[in-house]
Formats: sequence, structure tokens, C-alpha cells
Amino acid sequence: MKMKKLVSVSLATTMALSLAACGGSSGGPAGGSSDQVSAGSAEGGSAEGGSTLTIWQPTDKASIEAWWVEKLAEWNAEHPELQVKREAIDRSDSYAYENKVTTAVTSNDLPDILFVDGPTVSYYAANGIIVPITEYFSEEDMADFTPSTIAQGTYDGQLYAIGATESSVALYYNKDYLRECGVDVEDIEQRTLDNPLTWSELAEIAEKCTTDSYVGTHVIMDHGEGLPYALEPLFVSNGKDFVSEDGTTAESYVNSQECVDTAKWLADLIANKYANVDPITDEFLNGACATMLGGSWDIAILEESATFDWGVTYYPVSDSTKKAVSPCGDWSAAVSKNCTNVAGAGEFLQWLMSTENVATYAAAIAKPAARLSAYDHEAMADYKEGPRALIVEQLQNTASPRPRTPSYSVFSSRFAEALTNIFSDAASTQTVDPSYIQSELDAVASAFQEDYDMYYAQ
Amino acid sequence: MSKTAKAAGKKKHEHVAAYVFTLPGMFLLLAFLGVPILYTAGYSLFRYQIVRPDDIVFIGLQNYLKLFADAKFWLALKNTVYFTVLVVPAQCVLALALAMLVSSKFRGVSIFRTMYFSPQLTSMVVSSILWIVLYNANPNTGLINSLLVNLGLEPINFLTNEKTAMNSIIFMSAWQGAGYQMMIFLAGLQGISRDQYEAASVDGANKVQQFLYITLPGLRGTIKYIVMITMIQAMKLFTQPYVMTQGGPKDSTRTLVYYIYTQGFQQGNFGYACSIATVFFLIVVIMSLSMKRLIADNG
Repeated sequence: MKMKKLVSVSLATTMALSLAACGGSSGGPAGGSSDQVSAGSAEGGSAEGGSTLTIWQPTDKASIEAWWVEKLAEWNAEHPELQVKREAIDRSDSYAYENKVTTAVTSNDLPDILFVDGPTVSYYAANGIIVPITEYFSEEDMADFTPSTIAQGTYDGQLYAIGATESSVALYYNKDYLRECGVDVEDIEQRTLDNPLTWSELAEIAEKCTTDSYVGTHVIMDHGEGLPYALEPLFVSNGKDFVSEDGTTAESYVNSQECVDTAKWLADLIANKYANVDPITDEFLNGACATMLGGSWDIAILEESATFDWGVTYYPVSDSTKKAVSPCGDWSAAVSKNCTNVAGAGEFLQWLMSTENVATYAAAIAKPAARLSAYDHEAMADYKEGPRALIVEQLQNTASPRPRTPSYSVFSSRFAEALTNIFSDAASTQTVDPSYIQSELDAVASAFQEDYDMYYAQ
Repeated sequence: MSKTAKAAGKKKHEHVAAYVFTLPGMFLLLAFLGVPILYTAGYSLFRYQIVRPDDIVFIGLQNYLKLFADAKFWLALKNTVYFTVLVVPAQCVLALALAMLVSSKFRGVSIFRTMYFSPQLTSMVVSSILWIVLYNANPNTGLINSLLVNLGLEPINFLTNEKTAMNSIIFMSAWQGAGYQMMIFLAGLQGISRDQYEAASVDGANKVQQFLYITLPGLRGTIKYIVMITMIQAMKLFTQPYVMTQGGPKDSTRTLVYYIYTQGFQQGNFGYACSIATVFFLIVVIMSLSMKRLIADNG
């Protein structure tokens, strides 16, 4: 009897100890085999004296995965002393990737090279998460990138990130349906960058085309970053950007009269039911809206699946200024503070951003290239005419990067919230109240200011 | 040794064994719950921007002062309580009704049981996306609004109107969660002896009386368990507002946990997020303890 008890107690103790070892994996030699794999991959570079570089990038199209496999094999064969490996990290259409980067910062587990989204460059740079890479790119090289790419990757006068690809937004229209509604499609087709559609012309088309089964236009890309990204040029075109040029204040910028008027114009579209407050995915492709402010990536999707004749025209301009502005920005590569071989990483980035690599990379990921000389490469042949040429024309002439400020993420989420509130209000009351718009945009400005003053104002 | 002393000794040994057996559980609880909770409470006293772990400044109770003056926090608390107060009874009644339906024995009953349980097997993210489509405001694209329009009614902006957004989430949450409670109720129902119903019907009790005086008292333990579990789960509401409404419109679906997430991860105010989490933890603890007491008082 006693023996039995002793056995059971000692068994329980053993179990407790073994479980404890599993639980506290970082300390126990028995546990943490999976932990060691992930730690090893992140620390690889530093542990082996800079002989391995690790890259983190959000997952994308399958074709780009194949591009990386091929290109890294090429680099690794030529550089046995500096091996590079890449980890594709799921983004899940939300902030999953950014959250992973954030947690890696707190545990000092950042990879050597990480891809960052355009407007977050300032945030990462101001907080010392990424380091300057200016010295690895000659002036000649820099001049070959679109000015918006360089502007987006620059913080405090230093280049921190460089991207191979760009993005833009333009106005897509369903030619078949517009003709049915009596809109002069030939006129839209003949527009140039000097003479884009104005807001009032777009609103007029939207009104004409709104019926029981169609809405006239589509302005809500998503309820997050898509709002400031796709709509900022409307605000800039109307005379005021979201944030001051130096990125220190939003007061009397995002909540200026000009910005209130812009938001009001958008809210009118919703209140009049010319645009859906809650658009379904691929609303334009599914033939549920007549026009849309859509991303450059939509071209490939429409070419593949659209069952109607469609066209793309320039991003619309404010009636009062007629100033053409367009969105831009994409993921770009940066070197992290945990990288112990910055020179090696810089050398690798130089190679990664060569004209040849940028051209084939852009072709594989189906995005416009950020390097001008890449467009002479055969891989970019599609961009010589048609909708893709229009995107490149916008990128080279009217692209305006999102605010470059370390408080961008606070701004972006609060702005998206404000616009969603304004749109919901317009949709449910079917009227637009400028004083409500003002109060929402005031709240954006003060949320920005609070964050900036707390962490960055010196 | 006398018999009683022997028994006492045995009891003492059993105590020791009991503690030893709880060790693994206690250890895991401490490592993955206790320590993080202490850390959270600790960080709530600091100004801590999440990507600046080297620049943490002690600021005392400032985060808490800010918190109590933060209208968004109070609104989030109100929304969370509103959700809990509505979803718990809705879900429990629905679950009990479903359980009664499928507890009778007829051909193919297991098909119904599986059907009612199946939303539980689907990930909440998937269900949320599905319901976004069902709830879509445009009658051409939203299934429920298309039905309303065909019945000659006005379409409803389910998720984009601050008056209906939370209720829409409550409805879909009850639909999603009821299957699980149904299974527990089913087990409870099967624990009630058939003889009691037979005796009652011999005595002339009708179905309603049988339900009130046999079924409900018989399920007392089950009901307590379900109410408690559902309540704690409801307080932690996050996925549905995260996927379906991003806390909007006009903060009408911003819950406490969602607010903790946006403050901590999207805005990087980690210290502040920790202070909300600490207050939230205390609220849930107090609520659980008082629920436990309330239930214990009722026998």
C-alpha cells in the first residue's frame, strides 16, 4: 500500500518536472526544439559571423516565390561567404506581418533584412529599428528610381528603405455599362494627365449610372490602410495634405476646411447612394459598380476575369485646383538594427535592386517597377501602352507618397476610423453634416498630435 | 495506532498527493498566466512605446488616470457589458431550445445535431466573413437585405449603422456559439430520468408544467456552468468586431479586448494597453467571483 503511494507520488513528480522542462523551453535542454529552430533562423547572421543573411517578407503571389528561389540560388552560388535565405511571412490581409515585426523588436529577434510597407518607413526609422543604407546606393542609382520611391524610403535626410516595385490608383470604368447610361466614353478615353476627369464630372457620371442594380462608383478599398492610401490624393488635390511637410503636425492639415470639403464630397457620394458604404469584394469585377478608384494590381485581375469592356483613366482632380495627384507606395527592403553585417546586407540590396532584378521581380509580382531603366527590359514590355502605361505615367509625374512621419500608423488607423464613421453617418441619415465631419477630423488631428508629442517631439 | 489516527494520516497523505498532482497544472498556469499577468500589471506603470524596449519610462499611475478620463475606454466597457448581457441569455435560450428539439429520438436526429453543432466547428474568422456577406447593406449583394427587399421592406445597413451593428454581431455570435451549449444541455437532459416525466404525466402534468418543474430544475447545474462559461467568453469578444466592423461605426462595436489590441499593437502604446488589460482582468475576476457566489447562494 505504502509502496503504491510512493510510486504514484514519484511518478507525479517526474511528470511535473518533465512538463516544467517543456514549458520553460528557453532554459530546459529537453524542451524548445521548435524554439531553437526559429531562434536559429533569426540569429543565423550574427551567430556565424555574418555569413548568413535572413530576409523577412510578407507572402505574395506564387510566381514571386519562384522568383526568389531562382534568384537566391544564383546569389548563393556566387557568394559562398554570404549566404542569403528568405522567410515568407503570412500577412492575412491585415497587420499580422507588422505584429510579428513588432514582437521581434521587443525580443531582439529581427532578421537582417526586412520588408516594410512604404508609410511605415518613418516609424521604423524614428524608432531605430532600421538603419540608414544611403551609402550603398550611388546618386546615379537613386536618380533611376521614381522620385516617390526615394521620398518614401527617406527619413531625416537618409535613405532607410528601397523598393523594387510601386503601386498606384486610377479610375476604372465599365465601358459597356457607361455607354448604356449615355456617358461619353470616347471623351474619357481621350483624357490626358493635363486634363483628367474632375470631381464634379465623376459625380455626374456616378449619378447617371446609379440604378437599382448598379452603383455609380466605388471609393472604399477597405476599412483600413486602403482609405488613406487610395483617397489621400483627393485631399492633396483640393489644397491640403493630411500632415505638415515635416511630419510634425496634423493640426490645420487633416482638419482644415479643404480637407473637410474633400471628405464632404466623398460622403455626398455615399449619402446619394452613388457609392456603397459597404462594397463587396471585387465589386467592379462583379459588375456591381460602374466606375471605381482601383489599385494598379486590379489591371491583371480584370484582364483575366472581366466579362465586359473596361478602361482606366487618370486619378480625378479637384474642380478648384485641377491639380493632378496620385497614390503610390509599396513594400520596400530595409536593414534591421539587429543585422551584424550591414555592409554585406547593403551589398546584397545593391544586387537585389539592379535593373535586371527589379524588372524581372516586378514582372513576377505583376506590379509596376520602381526603377525607370527597368521599363526598357523585355520583362516590362507590357508597360509600353494601355492601362499599365497610364499607371507608369502617373507614377513618374503625379505620385505623392503618404505622410512621412513616425506617427503614421496612429494617423492611419484613426483616419480610417473617422472616414468609416463619416461614411456610415452619411449612409444611415442620407444627409451630410459638415460639422460632424469637422469633429471627426479634429479627433484625427488630436490623436496624431498626442502620439507625436508623447514619443517623438523633442 | 488507533483507527482514527490512521485515517487522519491517510487523509494527510492524500493531501500531499493532491498537491503533487496539481503541480504540473499549477506550474503551467503560473508560467503562462500568472507571470504574464504580473508583467502586464508592472508595464501598466510605464510609458512604453512597443517598438522602443530600450526607452521605458516609469510614470506611476498616469496610464490609469488617462484611462479613467478616456471616453473610448468607457464606451468599450459599455459595449462589452451590453454584448454580454444580451448574448448570454439569447445564446442559452437558443441552445436549450435546440437541445430539447434534438433530444427526442427520431430517425435522422443525429443529422440535426451535427447541423446545429457545425457552426462551432467553423473558425470564428470564417463565420465572420460569411456573415459580412449575409449582412451586406446593398440588396443586390447582401442576402438578408435582398430577402427584406423582396418582402417589400426597407434594406438595413446592418454593420454600417451604429444602431444595428452590435445587435447584428450579437445575433451571429449566438448562432455561432449555441451549438456548443446545445451539446452540454443535451448531456444534461439525458441525465434527467425518464421515470420523472412518466410519473408527472400520470399525475396529469402537461408539457409546459413538465418543462418548468422537471426539466429546468434538473438542468440547474448545467445552466450554472453554461451561464458562467458563456459570460466569460462574451467578455472577451474580439474576433467578430475585428473582422466585421473594426470596432466601428462610431465605436459602437469597440470592445475592451479590441481596444487593448488597437492601443497595444496598432498604436504602439504598450504601457497604456497594459493598464486597460489590468483593469479588464480585475473586472472579469470580480464578475466571476460574484457570479460564483450568486450561484452558490441559490443552492
